[in-house]
Amino acid sequence: MTFRVVIAGVGGQGVLVAARVLGSAARYADFDARVGQLHGMAQRGGSVEGTVVIGRGSTAFIGPGDADVVLGLEPLETQRALPRMSDRTEVLMNERPVALATLTQRGVEYPELGTILQRVRGVTERVHTLDARSIAERAGSPRTLNVVMLGLLAGLDFLPFVENALARAVDAQSPERLVDINRRAYQLGRESAAGTRGVAGS
Amino acid sequence: MGEVSVDNKSDEKSRSERPVDPLIVDREGHAAFILGNEAIVRGALEAGVAFACGYPGTPSSEITDTFARLAPQLGITFEYSINEKIALEMAFAASLAGARSIVAMKHLGLMYAGDPLATIPYIGTVGGMVIVSAGDPSCMTSPNEQDQRPVASMLHIPVLDPGTAQEALELTRFAFELSERSHLPVILRPTTRVCHTRAEVTFGQMRKREVRGFTRDPSHLVPIPAHARKLRAEVDERLEIARDELRRSGFLRRSGNAKTMIVAAGVPAAVCADILREQDCDDSVSLLRLGAPFPLPESWLVEELQRVDRVLVVEELLPFVEDTVLRLCAQNALRVDVFGKRTGHLPTRYEYTPELIGAAMHDALGIDYAPATPTEHVPTPVRAPTLCAACPHRGAFFAARAAFGNDVLFFNDIGCYTLGFGEPLDSADALLSMGAGFTLAAGVSRTTGQKTVGFMGDSTFFHSGMPALLNAIKEGVDMVAVIMDNEVTAMTGFQESPSAEIEKGRIQRRVDLAGVVRALGAERVEVVDPNDLAVTVAAFRKARETEGLSVIITERPCPVFTQRIGDAAVMEEPCQSVEAKAATTYTIDHDLCQHCGRQACGHRCGQSATHAFEQAMARARSLENGVPVAPVEVAPCASACPLFLCVQGYAAHIASGDYAAALELIMAGLPLPSSVCRVCHRPCEVACVRADQDEPVAINDLKRFVVDWADAQEEFPYAPTLEPEHGRHVAVVGAGPCGLAAAHELRLRGYAVTVYDSDAEPGGLLLTGVPRYRLPLDVLRRDVARIRATGVEFVGERRLGGDLHLDELVEQHDAVLLAIGTSRSRSLELDGPDGSEGPELVDALAYLRSSRGSGAATGRHVVVIGGGNSAIDSARTALRSGAERVVIACLESRAELPAIRSEIAEAAQEGIEIRTRVCAVRRTADGIELVGVEPRVEGRFDPDNFQPVAGTENVVPADQVIVAIGQTVDRAAFGNGNTLDWHDGRLAVDSTTLATPRRGVFAAGDLAPGDGTVTGAIATGLRAAWGIDRAMRGNDAADRRPPPPPARASAGSVRPGVERIDRAGRQRPPELDEAARRSSFDEVTGTLDEASARAEAARCMICGACGNCRSCIDLFGCPAFFVDGNKPQISEDLCVACGVCAQFCPNGAIKPVEVEA
Repeated sequence: MTFRVVIAGVGGQGVLVAARVLGSAARYADFDARVGQLHGMAQRGGSVEGTVVIGRGSTAFIGPGDADVVLGLEPLETQRALPRMSDRTEVLMNERPVALATLTQRGVEYPELGTILQRVRGVTERVHTLDARSIAERAGSPRTLNVVMLGLLAGLDFLPFVENALARAVDAQSPERLVDINRRAYQLGRESAAGTRGVAGS
Repeated sequence: MGEVSVDNKSDEKSRSERPVDPLIVDREGHAAFILGNEAIVRGALEAGVAFACGYPGTPSSEITDTFARLAPQLGITFEYSINEKIALEMAFAASLAGARSIVAMKHLGLMYAGDPLATIPYIGTVGGMVIVSAGDPSCMTSPNEQDQRPVASMLHIPVLDPGTAQEALELTRFAFELSERSHLPVILRPTTRVCHTRAEVTFGQMRKREVRGFTRDPSHLVPIPAHARKLRAEVDERLEIARDELRRSGFLRRSGNAKTMIVAAGVPAAVCADILREQDCDDSVSLLRLGAPFPLPESWLVEELQRVDRVLVVEELLPFVEDTVLRLCAQNALRVDVFGKRTGHLPTRYEYTPELIGAAMHDALGIDYAPATPTEHVPTPVRAPTLCAACPHRGAFFAARAAFGNDVLFFNDIGCYTLGFGEPLDSADALLSMGAGFTLAAGVSRTTGQKTVGFMGDSTFFHSGMPALLNAIKEGVDMVAVIMDNEVTAMTGFQESPSAEIEKGRIQRRVDLAGVVRALGAERVEVVDPNDLAVTVAAFRKARETEGLSVIITERPCPVFTQRIGDAAVMEEPCQSVEAKAATTYTIDHDLCQHCGRQACGHRCGQSATHAFEQAMARARSLENGVPVAPVEVAPCASACPLFLCVQGYAAHIASGDYAAALELIMAGLPLPSSVCRVCHRPCEVACVRADQDEPVAINDLKRFVVDWADAQEEFPYAPTLEPEHGRHVAVVGAGPCGLAAAHELRLRGYAVTVYDSDAEPGGLLLTGVPRYRLPLDVLRRDVARIRATGVEFVGERRLGGDLHLDELVEQHDAVLLAIGTSRSRSLELDGPDGSEGPELVDALAYLRSSRGSGAATGRHVVVIGGGNSAIDSARTALRSGAERVVIACLESRAELPAIRSEIAEAAQEGIEIRTRVCAVRRTADGIELVGVEPRVEGRFDPDNFQPVAGTENVVPADQVIVAIGQTVDRAAFGNGNTLDWHDGRLAVDSTTLATPRRGVFAAGDLAPGDGTVTGAIATGLRAAWGIDRAMRGNDAADRRPPPPPARASAGSVRPGVERIDRAGRQRPPELDEAARRSSFDEVTGTLDEASARAEAARCMICGACGNCRSCIDLFGCPAFFVDGNKPQISEDLCVACGVCAQFCPNGAIKPVEVEA
């Protein structure tokens, strides 16, 4: 069994941290895991992608159609991960966009959220969206958005290991002053899973 | 949880204990989840490394970063060397000193260190020496991808290729052994995928560090030629030792015994193993994994090849191993099919993905690998990497482009600032390698003689920019060297730079950068804060104006770094106000942002923003104004213009070289541009704020430059858009500027238009009243032709009140516009001798008409009575028609003269005498008697207000007297006129729509109340067309093209606080010399040349707001800005309140705000 998760987002959203946490969680659950990161020249605001491959193997590549889960921290970045999706991919998407900064001048417009969703649904019906940003703010900081998304992943119960491992990994990777706030974010994300299921069926 | 503790806490440890770094857990068999780069460090620790150094470069940076963190607690000597050559030499010195040493860099660095690298194998290492040279297939973070293996083999240096984190650890540990046994340095060559993949790695035992000390051995350590020749043979012996070691190492290993074999190295070897396992091919295909592609033990490899009949070689980049395999097969006559790059199954560039390798395995070996069917491609906008919000480099680039304009070449370098490349900062015309920002700039400057600008960061400057700068100083190159000092190596993850170090959480200066630059011999060195735009722009301007080499150091710490280390102190400045100091973010006031006072009239400028336009705009604002001052809604020039032309808009377009866009702005509001730019009375120039500073912008000359440019094009580069015809027909009576403008405007609105005129040719006063030296006939005809081309019908030689009757016109058309102007001269009764004696008395209109603008029957001595334009025109026409002496006599003082200033000045220049405050009393036999007058009430102009001053009578000799004391309407043209009202000699009209009381009849131009100018008459023509449209089609349809609002002479053109930094004087068009003027009707004033026009346009201070401005988005490129709907916005999340945007916002719309966290 190999379980592959693409985590897509924008620099500053905590993509790589989320990938590392998920990788450690797999290890807590006694799974082999590898975490890849592509950040290149992306400074704050650029596209960042993390890959987590759980199970036997040597690399963290996730090829076309190979993602079991796409954890989209941002809508457009979720769309960017389309080639890695197939009809069995579970797509978890934060529906709050990060605007395209200066690019709009060249006639490049941020697509409508509906258009992005339509494109994703063209590949897989298993789409779960939520306003993770608001939930993160409710947890105490917009910067916990990545933890909210991990909580959602746990709540939807797609992982091949017990959810407790992920909660433990979140704790272990949190700096002391952020433990509580991250726990709250994780919990709120987990609870919101129920609310997103309806979206998948629609 | 964007933040995670920097110290990588062990997962297993309880958080109350002092954390032990997981990398230094000294327990064999311990497993940790670490990056490939960390595994390399662990491998070195297990090998007992005693010295580590390097220069950061993605993807190798975490190696040096990890050493930086661990070295102090392990007693390892570590440094971030200033460049790779230094680093390599330091590591070699440590090896000579008997220590195991490691040096890390990216692939590019290896080439930089090539000089010492080539000789080290000759001298030989003592302590094991490992060179990590991280590769980057697919150029993910590099300007090239390179295969270090051919270089290594050329220099006789063994190469190890890890494919996983575990291999990275093991090969690093082994590399020290290999180096020590062979006395060769060893290159470890991980790629991005290995460096940046986190995986479980099992540790070995840590080994004690050892420093054996330096042993003198000159015959080996000093490679003078005699020694070198001997050492060359030793190199070969060393390489043979390395070959043997590799054969025995276990890093060249085969799995399986099949007749088909894959030979692979690095990451592809790991991928191949995964695919074979997943496809269950372990039995049918064996895998030969090469942990070391060089030097391969050849006899062993031949043995391996003898066992098989098919081989697929899988290695990234060049066919290095493949060619060795092919050669060995040939040399040993092996019957083996070798597949790989040479057979076209694999490419020689870019990273190998599992799909690509799987496809090759399928195609070459028939392995059952089915790639997923790709989903339909959906184009997704790229989030191009961009300089962070608040990045000080942005201010530096912005200011540099502002000061230098678009024509100066900018050369960039390797670092964050590379992101200045492309729009909107456009700060990289070329890029090569570390330090080349200065050499490229210097080389181009020396070759072409152009001034150039080179940019690099502080770390890059210390890396290899110092010699480049010294070289430029030595040659006295005409260039600007910009060192962008952010006190840290930001690009690769905030490694220290020689310029600063962190002490107690604060950045402390270490090396005095400016001192170094001065010590190199630079004479002009300026240090500025790039977030202070005015100062930075001024520094760049000074450098632009000074010949030779200038150095500008832009100094401000990287805000991301200071935030990370918690040094808040540095973000406080610069601030423009107390308000800004407290700001946590900035916001855009949209009332100011997109408001230019043209909304009510539907954005008349109709101009979509272009990059160059905004560039000119923003520059003018940030640069011309010493202090930021909020602009007025409408620039005073536009307010004063009867046509409400967007002067600052076309000036900005001219400054940026976009003449077509400038033309579009002019044509949108002015249907007779060629004529008006020659005869306008220029109220705009009187209102210009610059008038108060030095001289007004030459607005009319700018307009003329554009229009003449357009006329010179093969096809006139503007065509108006006409609404579809709707069948309504308007008669316009009078083909002067007002009638023509109205006719054109009515055509745009979809009306059929017939213009009647008493003359045979359209033009009215422009044709018969304005002399040719002001307005050449062909110029007027161009305007007329353009108007007629829109479909306006012209019927000549029909006179209202003669063969043309108002009642008939009203009957035959849906509406009638009367625009026949004032065709009668006021007459002057002067007593004098009867009959043929005494000077002839003619009226100015008749005189000018008889001249048709180019010569009339004229006496020897001419006196012109009057002070308006027709007086000046008559006088100058008389001069050109052969008069020996021309005198103008008028009641007004010089300052009160109503004629256009420049016309008066030119007349005086041509030798025309102007006698002011005089009154003509009577004719004499040979002249005219004048008497001095004084006003009864000061400041009021009315002929009755003047009384003669006794004793000032004198006679001016004259044989012709031209009377130019004003014109009146020829009321006879209107027949009984019972349906029209008159007021003050003009037709009474509704001041908004210009409708007369008679239904369907409108009046405009001099026939209705107005300012008596050509431009003013055109404005009323446009207004009347709108009025007609309102009456015909209703307000909604008509208001789609509103008329220019009534002109307001701006009293408030003085703008307190506005200062000019650039003191470039007004450009002047060429003029005909005086002798030529006296004898011909050739045009006196010429057109500005292109360079002067652009320079003059750049003098415009853009003092009004612009509704089309998006400078913040399109020019500054801060990622905190985004567009929501049509409005620029600032993201609270990304804005860190640096306040630089507020310094240049052309509309003064960006404001600091305090947002509660």
